[in-house]
Amino acid sequence: MAAPQGNAALTAANNIQPFFVLHKAAVAAASTVPSSRARRRLDASLPSSPNPKSAKRHRDVDEQDEEGPELYEKLRLEAFHRTWSKIQSTIDEVLRGINLKLFDQVLQWAQESFSAVRAVAKPCHAEVQQPYPLLTDVICSRIPTAFVLTKNAEFVDDITTFRDLAEHLQSNGCHLAKLSATELSVKHAVGGCFRSLLRQLVSDVPDVADVSALASWYCEAENYEQPIIVIIDDLEQCSGDVLGELVMMLSEWVIKVPIFFIMGIATTLDAPKKLLSSEVLQRLEPCKLTLGSPSDRMNALVEAILVKPCAGFCISHEVAMFLRNYFFRHDGTITSFISALKLACSKHFSMEPLSFLCMGALEEDCEEFWCDKFEALPQVIQKYAFGLPSCTSTNNSSSSGSDVVKGLSKLLKLQKDWSSVLLCLYEAGRHDKVQLLDIFCEAVNPDLQTQNTSDVDLFASKMNSENPSGVKSGSGKVFMAQVTNTIRYLPMETLLHVLEVWSTHFKGMSEINDKVKELQSTTIDAGSARTTKEKWTRRSTGNTGNATVPLNEKAAVLLHDVIRKYLVPVECLPFHEIFCFKNVGILQSALIGNPRRMVQLDLLKSQSHLKCSCCGRSGTAVSGSLHDTSIMCNLAQEYGDVINLHDWYISFEGIINSTHSKVKRKSYSSPSKKKSKSTPPEGQAMVQARFCRAVTEMQITGLLRMPSKRRPDLVQRITFGP
Amino acid sequence: MPPRGGRAAAAASSGSEDEEDEAGYSRSYFLAKEKEPSSSKKRARAAAGKLSDLNLVDEQVLRASLAEIPPKHEEEVEALTRSYKDQYRNWLFELRCGFGLLMYGFGSKKQLLEDFATTTLTDFTVIVINGYLPSINLKQVIVTIAEMFWDQAKSKRKRQPGTRSQLSQPFPSQSFDDIISFLKRQTSDDVDDRVCLLIHNIDGPALRDAESQQWLAQVSCCPQVHVVASIDHVNAPLLWDKKMVHTQYKWSWYHVPTFAPYKVECVFYPLILASGGHAQTTKTALVVLQSLTPNAQSVFRVLAEYQLANEKEEGMPVSSLYTKCRERFLVSSQVTLNSHLTEFKDHDLVKVRKHSDGQDCLRIPLVSDALEKLLQELA
Repeated sequence: MAAPQGNAALTAANNIQPFFVLHKAAVAAASTVPSSRARRRLDASLPSSPNPKSAKRHRDVDEQDEEGPELYEKLRLEAFHRTWSKIQSTIDEVLRGINLKLFDQVLQWAQESFSAVRAVAKPCHAEVQQPYPLLTDVICSRIPTAFVLTKNAEFVDDITTFRDLAEHLQSNGCHLAKLSATELSVKHAVGGCFRSLLRQLVSDVPDVADVSALASWYCEAENYEQPIIVIIDDLEQCSGDVLGELVMMLSEWVIKVPIFFIMGIATTLDAPKKLLSSEVLQRLEPCKLTLGSPSDRMNALVEAILVKPCAGFCISHEVAMFLRNYFFRHDGTITSFISALKLACSKHFSMEPLSFLCMGALEEDCEEFWCDKFEALPQVIQKYAFGLPSCTSTNNSSSSGSDVVKGLSKLLKLQKDWSSVLLCLYEAGRHDKVQLLDIFCEAVNPDLQTQNTSDVDLFASKMNSENPSGVKSGSGKVFMAQVTNTIRYLPMETLLHVLEVWSTHFKGMSEINDKVKELQSTTIDAGSARTTKEKWTRRSTGNTGNATVPLNEKAAVLLHDVIRKYLVPVECLPFHEIFCFKNVGILQSALIGNPRRMVQLDLLKSQSHLKCSCCGRSGTAVSGSLHDTSIMCNLAQEYGDVINLHDWYISFEGIINSTHSKVKRKSYSSPSKKKSKSTPPEGQAMVQARFCRAVTEMQITGLLRMPSKRRPDLVQRITFGP
Repeated sequence: MPPRGGRAAAAASSGSEDEEDEAGYSRSYFLAKEKEPSSSKKRARAAAGKLSDLNLVDEQVLRASLAEIPPKHEEEVEALTRSYKDQYRNWLFELRCGFGLLMYGFGSKKQLLEDFATTTLTDFTVIVINGYLPSINLKQVIVTIAEMFWDQAKSKRKRQPGTRSQLSQPFPSQSFDDIISFLKRQTSDDVDDRVCLLIHNIDGPALRDAESQQWLAQVSCCPQVHVVASIDHVNAPLLWDKKMVHTQYKWSWYHVPTFAPYKVECVFYPLILASGGHAQTTKTALVVLQSLTPNAQSVFRVLAEYQLANEKEEGMPVSSLYTKCRERFLVSSQVTLNSHLTEFKDHDLVKVRKHSDGQDCLRIPLVSDALEKLLQELA
């Protein structure tokens, strides 16, 4: 791995340069244009190729060479990009859809405010550009301001919301500028912040950024008829003084140049009061708007990307549980949830050789796609497909391409049924505040399948037992039992609504749909007569009021049947490895690096990484053959939060020397053993150098803080226990 | 790697692992606190083992030995580093997926990453930033990238006439935001090359400030730029907020301990046995004093003698120093004394403190032994 000898000098020079170009990209021909044969093969296997000639395919099958892996890697990369862009666009769509109502409110507010401002006065261009303000009463120099309550503890989720809002307003003709908290800081002051505002609106920013530049820009014909909207997405992080100054300045001009504010508030509505002075607050004309809650957004997202796997890719139960815990325990932001999912997706396509077949789910004719693809696969990979654990468990002896295609199609079909059932469950559970993510985690549990086959008898007892709502372990069927329970007590009207939603979800499953229809018809007959008894029914536990209960009961029984038959977790299906990401360990280590713990573990257990024969694995005593820094770190564990350098050195020296002389001596840590102050032995310089380097390395890794001038003999330990 | 998978699975199912970790941390912290002797004992302990009791070698010898430390476990370290080669393809895959790679674990990762770059990132233009250096001009780096993109875009535009190919002003004189917005506009249609920024020690001393991290984060989310970085400090993740982590850097973490010595990274750290003790300070003080005029040296001597005679005091009041110096005809006025004092202060030979009775007093920041030694050598 060492650089070639000739480059040694160059490397040394590069080491002390702040930056350097290691190498330029290889000539485009080598990388971006594949060799002709590879390209031919790529064409043959790419879905977009117009006519995949079978002859070509067969030849490709014959020619198996080392280009294979790279070709499939490219395919998998393409599959990742297509899959993720599909998921990402779904996410964007869902989030935008949720926020659309609010966006329209904002737009309406902007338009109303604009006409209100214009109603006060409609200055002509010359008036607008005059340097002094229009003479109007104080009331009119108030800036319409929309405070948008985001309800998010973390700002990061609002970035996309405000970006979408900006796009929405812009597409409706408003002029738009954004000011971030970093711009509204004391460092930039009001001048820098106004300049940034100008930069976003005016194409050529003059050297002296003042309001007159803005005014003259605003007077241009194409700009005049619309308000300027300034979005400040994170109000709490802004400097109150700078923002106040900006508000005071712009408020003088609001009649001439109608600038309105939209401010995002993460905490409570009194945040502006805390931040701004009363004088400034008087210049704002507030309007309060509220975003949807994070849990609504989460439910919608889970539905769109996990329950209805929009792009084929799906996750296993373990991964789902991990993501759920990550969401609830880590920071509760949707952004981190999505980025975790993206990482899972990329890991899947990077590790699973056949994962490129996922693309089939995006194709119109997936069977043809899989057929083409599978036949073009080399024998080795074909064999691998039949060797997947999920296939070997089902006794499928024959192994031809059509089996795979059939298997995959069946998998997609069953997945679709699964998601329909899950959505029905959620529809009923919503009335009892069940979150989709929770119920999703239960529904992907492969143990469910085994439970389903055995617990028919258990059903009744479970139904009647009190719902253990406190348990959130996610294993077992806590939430599903809760849902079935909920159905039993649903008021008639709600039940009718639920059944209606069910019938849309079960559209593809005629057998079930008929049953739902049947239920609906009986409910309608009985429903009208029973509405008056609703409240009574809700309280009754099912043994009384036997006229209505059967309907609820029937629905519950139907749901239970459907769950048993159709809620087949993906992990129970053959070939699911192709679509389903399972390796939770890899995901976790890539997502949450834990340097604090891992670096200490590296040092304390260096043998397990180096796998050397010299350092005893079992030994509790620190061996001198260990890595120097490892010895030091082990020794440091003996101290409190400060380490005496002298003692530390003596123990280090003891350990080092004990192996040198091959005599097992106790480390002599008594400071009384003073050396003669004459010339130090030659070996001691080396020991001191090693000590120094080990300390420096511990300093680099941040395990130590250097001695202060007041206590030059003591270093401070920073980390305690891995 | 340790068996993280099993641990992870356990964490996923039980979820209590984290809390146990937390409890473990605090437990060991308080244990460590308990071990710490009470303040009087601490003094006793510090007195018991002093660095000066050790028979320390001269700094030059120390530095010479440092260069000759025999490597331990050379083969194993190399084998460990080699074992990561299998992962190169996966790393590249993830880089292409749009993630940034973040390498951590004990040991210098410089060679590993550069080897990865030379063998695997052949399709990328790789720019290496040595974050372990004490100062780095990030703007230069960004200007380099921008200029490279500009040249490529220009040659492309030549093939499609009719588009403007003039820069309003050269990149070095543009503001940072302008360059970033230029970089953000570059897509694969404009430029052929993808740039990979290879940042050794993205947590290094020169990159540790918020502004540098903001800049790097903004560069890392430009469409044609990818980032591979290494960290060594255990608290490095504190450098980033959620926005940077999830929307800009998009880290994918890899635990790759190499146990390779931090050779270049170490260079800029002081040696604990060389400059930590006062031997070094005495020496530097001596060098400074010898370059001053004899009168200035004598003024310093007056101060030093006073300090040795009155060790308990907080320092020598300026007024009494002036009187003493006038008596000995060392200075003629307060102005000359002040000029000497300024010289001392600039070289950290003297510290000014407020005395408890309000007047300024002077103190030499050296312990008595060191001060005595200094006076001997100065004579």
